[in-house]
Amino acid sequence: MSTLLAASSEGEGFVSPGPKDFDLPPFFDSVAWFTKPVLIVMLATLLVAAFYYFSARRASVVPSRLQFAGESLYGFIRNDVAIDAIGHEGLRFAPYLATLFSFIAVNNIAGIVPILQFPSTSHIAFPLVLAVFSWLIFLYLGIKRAGFFRYFKDMMFPPGIPIPVYFLLAPIELFSTVIVRPVTLMLRLTFNMFAGHLVLLLFVLGGEYLLKEYGGFVGIAAGSVSILGSIVLTFFEGFVQLLQAYVFTLLTALYIGGALADEH
Amino acid sequence: MPTDPPVGPPEDPDRDARDDERRARRQEANDAWSAFGLMISGVVVWGGAGYLVSRWTHLEVFTLLGLLLGTGTALYGVWIRYGRS
Repeated sequence: MSTLLAASSEGEGFVSPGPKDFDLPPFFDSVAWFTKPVLIVMLATLLVAAFYYFSARRASVVPSRLQFAGESLYGFIRNDVAIDAIGHEGLRFAPYLATLFSFIAVNNIAGIVPILQFPSTSHIAFPLVLAVFSWLIFLYLGIKRAGFFRYFKDMMFPPGIPIPVYFLLAPIELFSTVIVRPVTLMLRLTFNMFAGHLVLLLFVLGGEYLLKEYGGFVGIAAGSVSILGSIVLTFFEGFVQLLQAYVFTLLTALYIGGALADEH
Repeated sequence: MPTDPPVGPPEDPDRDARDDERRARRQEANDAWSAFGLMISGVVVWGGAGYLVSRWTHLEVFTLLGLLLGTGTALYGVWIRYGRS
């Protein structure tokens, strides 16, 4: 590592990947907004829509393979996320949650799909919009259930506390529900994808540099380990990508469940 | 999409109750995240307020007081919400 750093300080040599690698140029100079992440989000939208459309079309008692896949995925989100986190009312949120999970999962997985090889969710704008959706949904449901003032009163003033403490605790409760929830939702997804992509880049580019430029016994040996490591990490990334899609969906469901529940 | 009911047959009268029980267990699993969020909020809200007072009065001690107050209150809030039951 130290020799690598020394090499790079000499002017040429290994340039480590960084945030600049997430700054992708537009495909056409005249259409500035049309970049790779945008293309991936469009493809993901089409793919998710087509997947559910074709798996539900011509649904039969003896399911085709596609119908089976669609029903398994939908059933998993409906039973293990929607109903588990929200209760019997969760059924009506199952379509949204299933779409949310599929959409995030496909966008994440694009990070390890050859040619695409970029998780569009590592650009904060996309998780931001999804987190705003979750935020609006749980606030709307909470306010609709309890009414505007009672919803915030229940949130900010849990019972059984000496009155002076409310002055200190109420702002914290408000902040943690209204600000921290959507922000953590957004940051958790973004930075997991960002860091995962960066690590993959480092292993692949570093390995390539070691094999091609650095050379020698050390370069070949370390480069091979790096490239092999990148293959292992690709599988690990795939796991993280699915997991983060699941976590985002589950937390959204839990927030909806919390907003609908008549407790505190 | 599947048309049969999610948990148990439709004539099962306990289904809603059992679903709600599952929900309660899941919500409990979320408590750790909520407690974490509350701690962060305590530090940010009252630490931030203390910092602003420090800027205003040029006395750094208010930042420290705010941070301690926020952490303490958040801990108390966590105990109130999740600790006594």
